[in-house]
Amino acid sequence: MTDMKWTTKNIALCAVLTALALGLSTLENMFPVSLAVPLPGVKLGLANIVTVFALYELGAVPALVILFARCGLGSLFAGNVSALLFSMLGGLCAMLVMIGLKHCRKLSIYGVSIGGAAAHNIGQMAAAIITLGNTMVLGYLPFLLAVSLITGTLTGFVAALLFRAMAHVTLSH
Amino acid sequence: MSTNPSRPELKWNRYDAIVATLVVLLAVAVALWFYLPKLQSGETTVVISAGGQETERVRLSDFSGTTVTCNGYTLQIDADGDGVWVSHSDCPTQDCVHTGHITRAGQSIVCLPAQIIIHLEGAANDGPDVIVG
Amino acid sequence: MKRWICLLLAAVLSLSLTACGAPKTETLDIFAMDTYMSLVAVGDGAFDVLQRSSNEINTLEQKLSRTIETSDVARLNANGSAVLDEGTAELLRRALRYSEETGGAFDMTIAPLVELWGITTEHPRVPTREEIDALLPLVGTEHVHLDGLNVSLDEGCTIDLGGIAKGYASDCVAALFAASDLTGGFASLGGNVYVHGVTADGQPWKVAIQDPQKTGAYACTLHLSGAFVVTSGGYQRNFTGPDGTVYQHIIDPATGYPAVSDLLSVSVITYGAADGQGTRADAYSTALYVMGEEAAVDFWRQNSAAFDMVLVTADGRVLYTPGLKDCFDETEGSGYVYQPLAA
Repeated sequence: MTDMKWTTKNIALCAVLTALALGLSTLENMFPVSLAVPLPGVKLGLANIVTVFALYELGAVPALVILFARCGLGSLFAGNVSALLFSMLGGLCAMLVMIGLKHCRKLSIYGVSIGGAAAHNIGQMAAAIITLGNTMVLGYLPFLLAVSLITGTLTGFVAALLFRAMAHVTLSH
Repeated sequence: MSTNPSRPELKWNRYDAIVATLVVLLAVAVALWFYLPKLQSGETTVVISAGGQETERVRLSDFSGTTVTCNGYTLQIDADGDGVWVSHSDCPTQDCVHTGHITRAGQSIVCLPAQIIIHLEGAANDGPDVIVG
Repeated sequence: MKRWICLLLAAVLSLSLTACGAPKTETLDIFAMDTYMSLVAVGDGAFDVLQRSSNEINTLEQKLSRTIETSDVARLNANGSAVLDEGTAELLRRALRYSEETGGAFDMTIAPLVELWGITTEHPRVPTREEIDALLPLVGTEHVHLDGLNVSLDEGCTIDLGGIAKGYASDCVAALFAASDLTGGFASLGGNVYVHGVTADGQPWKVAIQDPQKTGAYACTLHLSGAFVVTSGGYQRNFTGPDGTVYQHIIDPATGYPAVSDLLSVSVITYGAADGQGTRADAYSTALYVMGEEAAVDFWRQNSAAFDMVLVTADGRVLYTPGLKDCFDETEGSGYVYQPLAA
């Protein structure tokens, strides 16, 4: 991976990916997994697909920019600041872990995605502890981590499909 | 057009399994750290203190009674596995004897003259945190 | 590969560790002020706060006890006058104010009669009518002359702060809790409870009010935070006279006899760690018990902004003020009839 140049095309690409991530977040909010799995904060993490994609296609910096834009705009749309803390901490943790895991070249997209999903839940848990001011919510973490194995595999699968479909397309220069 | 060299492996492999295992291990570790203490304290415990010092801490089911002397007074404490009571005391007020049986976590028998407290401790229960009156 | 996994593991673990730090709960049991006290603190510096609370309570007892010869109160009673420190003078000022507010139903000058009945001793007795009538004229706050830190008592008048000393102590503990980093805690000082913040589970404290008729059972449970609950009732301490009459420990300043109330217990709930709310609750609970149901309800209607209350009546009703509506749990199967009071 070489550093992405901030050409007009690439900035536009970031904007499209941000919009896509926001769209996916909205989509999964319409079909909450928490109805099936009664845990607070359970999510499919579809927006994570965009993060994974951006991380590999564009690099860490653009992926972070997209993440910040997605969290900021998302909480603006939802109209609440505590949601910003949740999505930001979750997203940042996922991002940092995935940047790290990406360096293990032997890991496939699944490993990276699972690590990101687990880290996302840990970040959200930290946000919950900060907001609620007590650590009782930690009791949910083991279950959330278990769920993140499934959601991480799922988003990894979708991302793999995506990369396969785009095997001969190069987006950034 | 060529494939982007930074693109990831797309097939599940054994290194992914390591990441998955680590996540499972972390989940188990957090679960143990969080839930184990609660399970261990699940049983009702008899705690006796005299003159501000804890003198005995036994599971209610293992407790068969004892005699405690403090401040010049002696209390005979009896138990039957379900509850604890003071069967005899040479203290002047006899409040401890009159308190009768205590059976639930959170309850206590207090003997003011002897400065002896018999308290039932337990896990998270529906009982009150503090009793006034 | 291995290096990265180690790094990841370390990062994840350190994250979860910094986030955890389960709140520390400390407890301390002490015997002071002629009663059993239990203090619980949750959060940073819990042990330290409890130690300081305990010291404070012991210091107060040394100043306020009627039976410790060197105390401010004992010296005042013995000499008829004294120069007080600011804390004790403030407590006396409050005692005078609560007497006035409650129409004398709470009165610290009841001390000569408390002594006559031997209520707090191991050998209480029933005095004669003449003995009581001789002492009654000494009861009344008009016999206490407080000017700044100088106080003097009329000849024969003595004071007993037993009715509010524990409430005052709970105020002092509340102030220590409020100034600390504790996330929660409570002080249970023999019928006087102060609850601070939240439990280790992040919930309001569950304060159960003792069922006056059944040991180990509760008349009701209140979910509270930052509040004082003080319960007064004849069931707490009493003795049986030679003729079988049960005399309880709260003396009616108007008659000189132990109060004969149509209430079994009165619990007064006040809010906020400042302004002596614990002392107020302590004085009011005693006064309302002496007043009886009707006068107690009237008194609440005139001061409904100042406090909430729970009355357990002798005919099996539990009355509570509407301010408690959202934090009040009935006890199922208690046999009591629960009735919210109309404002």
